[in-house]
Amino acid sequence: MNKQQSYNLTLKIRRFDPDSKRSWIQDYHVEAGRILRFVDLFRKINDEQDPNLAWSSSCEHGQCGSCSVKVNGKPLLACELLVENAVQYFKTITFQIEPLNVAPVVRDLVVDISTAYERIDQIKPYIIHPAPPPTENNEYPITPHELERYVNATRCINCFCCSSACISSHKTFLGPNAMLATIIRVMDPREQEKDQRLKILYSENGIYRCHSSRACSFVCPKEIDVAHFIAVAKEGRITEQE
Amino acid sequence: MNKALQIRSTIHCDLLIIGAGGAGFRCAAEVLEKKPKTRVIALTKGSHPQKSHTSTAQGGLAAVDPRDPADDNIFHMFDTWKGSDCSADQNVVRKICGAAWEQILWLENRGMHFSRDPDGRLSKRTFGGHTLNFGESSAYRAVFEADRTGKGIMDTCWGETLKRGISFINQCLATELLFKENQCLGCIVFRQHEGEFIRILSKATVLSTGGSGQVFKITTNCRQNTGDGLALILQSGLPVMDPEAVQFHPTGIVGPGILASETLRSVGGILRNRKLEPFMEQYAPKMKDLAPRDLVARAMASEIREGRGIVNPDHNVEHVWIDLRHLPDAVHEKQIPEVTGFFKKYLNLNPKEKLCPVHPSNHYHMGGIPTNEFGEVQTSSQEIIPGLFAAGECAAASFHGFNRLGTNSILELITMGKFAGEKALTFLEKFPDQFPEVEGNLSFLRFSNYMEASGKDNIGQIRDALRTLMTENMSIFRNEGGMLKTIESLKELKHRADKTALSSKSLRMNQELVQHWELDNLLTVSMAITQAALNRKESRGAHFREDFPERSDNFNYHSLISMEQFGKVELERREVDMRLFEEKGQHADKFGLIERKY
Repeated sequence: MNKQQSYNLTLKIRRFDPDSKRSWIQDYHVEAGRILRFVDLFRKINDEQDPNLAWSSSCEHGQCGSCSVKVNGKPLLACELLVENAVQYFKTITFQIEPLNVAPVVRDLVVDISTAYERIDQIKPYIIHPAPPPTENNEYPITPHELERYVNATRCINCFCCSSACISSHKTFLGPNAMLATIIRVMDPREQEKDQRLKILYSENGIYRCHSSRACSFVCPKEIDVAHFIAVAKEGRITEQE
Repeated sequence: MNKALQIRSTIHCDLLIIGAGGAGFRCAAEVLEKKPKTRVIALTKGSHPQKSHTSTAQGGLAAVDPRDPADDNIFHMFDTWKGSDCSADQNVVRKICGAAWEQILWLENRGMHFSRDPDGRLSKRTFGGHTLNFGESSAYRAVFEADRTGKGIMDTCWGETLKRGISFINQCLATELLFKENQCLGCIVFRQHEGEFIRILSKATVLSTGGSGQVFKITTNCRQNTGDGLALILQSGLPVMDPEAVQFHPTGIVGPGILASETLRSVGGILRNRKLEPFMEQYAPKMKDLAPRDLVARAMASEIREGRGIVNPDHNVEHVWIDLRHLPDAVHEKQIPEVTGFFKKYLNLNPKEKLCPVHPSNHYHMGGIPTNEFGEVQTSSQEIIPGLFAAGECAAASFHGFNRLGTNSILELITMGKFAGEKALTFLEKFPDQFPEVEGNLSFLRFSNYMEASGKDNIGQIRDALRTLMTENMSIFRNEGGMLKTIESLKELKHRADKTALSSKSLRMNQELVQHWELDNLLTVSMAITQAALNRKESRGAHFREDFPERSDNFNYHSLISMEQFGKVELERREVDMRLFEEKGQHADKFGLIERKY
């Protein structure tokens, strides 16, 4: 089968100018090869049409979570979306592109991600009170079996796609990624301070805000089953020792 | 001078970290653990520290486990020395290798999720160039966190500093270091969101700004790795060391530039050119596709240069193929699933059925800001600059010399970060209560020029031209003619950049303004790389001169290059520390000027 080599796309990008506080949707017409990624398209717009369009990226291979945007309503990493996959998935050559709705917009597609991170900071993404290793000057032993229970959750890169997709996330819920970070340390045998963590987890802003839509698992670019971890926490099974 | 440009406020702190990656955070954590009330500020250019380039390191961390009866620090030191092509500093090699295991435990005890063996201990794997008994057999020396070891370090160090009360300023640029009587006292910072300059006065300042990979068109580096720290140092009239030492990995994936691991070749992958010829037979008749990294990279570049490459139409780059089609399904599924995943994700192709496009990819800058073994920054006459430290990829102590071994880079971050932290603590104790007054004068001049330029051009297009130029002339192969041409072209590009007007004069989150500043840094670093490479008439490690293909003892020194004004360079040298050889201890003969043959 011969694949189409290039596409004439229309990107309808949500713009915001912080000086005039004006917001609008701007159409960009871009001719793009089939395996260009959406970050490549943004760069192409900067180089050929509009150097002023602001967007974020860093590693550009799915490891840092800086380039999250909403494409036709779906939160995703722009560095992982190939043109031909987007055309096939969304069945269109016109794409609405918006910033993630997890923090105030700074300009165009750039949001103030530090504000979004305040929710992560609240749950204390570190070991509060580490258990000393049983023998001094050694590692704390953790078997692969024990690690297996939570290691998938440690793959989270805080791209905030889950938080954006979550149907309860915009008000009081700290968000699926913040919950993951808490759950990791409840399950981590090296953390002695479990009470404080459980208090956060089962607080007003904690997991009971979750409506179990599973949107978090559906959009996670790292394919972490976020909803599974939250479900386990809701059932109270996370403190069980195996 | 543009009237919008002014200092909005001045902040005082004890320790200022410029660049919040693994090295910067390890340093901050050291200081905050030992002296809890220290006021520490960390600056990052990205949107958040967790997005830093450290997070992308995959492989592992080399460290000799004292419980391992087969391995020994001296073997790790030898491998590093040999890998460096006899240009690492032996005092640094000894200090880092000696501290490695303790630093692994530091990370583990603070929550890093290392992969484990069935007994619950840290798992270990082998890595190219790491051996037992001075090259006899492979060493199991690298601890790791699955394929995301860098992320583990980053998350742990970030968490530790957060726990101990660090302050962050995200998405900002350090535009100028501040000095009084040769002492560093902080820097001028441009905050991108607000479009404002602030002045940070600090008792101690640490440069940990990362690499410069964006100098090249295809790179494994993050988009923000534009050599800002090196440009900042050069702007201050201080030298950078060995900028010509730049590492390339043979098999970068076309598109994102990320690595297709060496495993592909070890499981039987075959490199092919446009005519589908298995060309490695010509270059290394015995080892073929399993030849060392630099040889494979040069063979690939030769094929491309002689017209036997293939152009990828979408990314507009020339490449060769790696053929994995003949490998059994079990190999695809069990041994190389991650890399297979990358080809599927970024190129939409199935390596079981299709040829995969690969190209040598810029990977690591061995050169950097010269420091001693404690991370203290030095002048070209090797005097210490009080209050200024550097660690991580932007620095050169030098642990890697002219070629870095896999898994030694993130080891350097956490060890040199800690050493710099220890030194900074001693320095802070002696610092008087009163801060001297100091003002900057360079930042506004530079930004004023950006705001007032009126020519029609495009920053992105000039950046692309620069990256193509450097890739063509300054990557795998270098020769005098190409380098002289490159120097002239860099001057032209600089001239073009200086004249380019911004399409918007707003200072708030003006991406084009930031990119102009970054382009200036890329141009500066490119010039330093080229001038130092031109001067080094030999081949050593990753620096390969077609006109001087052998290593020469006449160049057995580190290059120091200063360039306060673009293109006006001063070259000096620093001796390579060879104390392991000179002290004549056990195995001293292994640390002489040995051949780098595998």
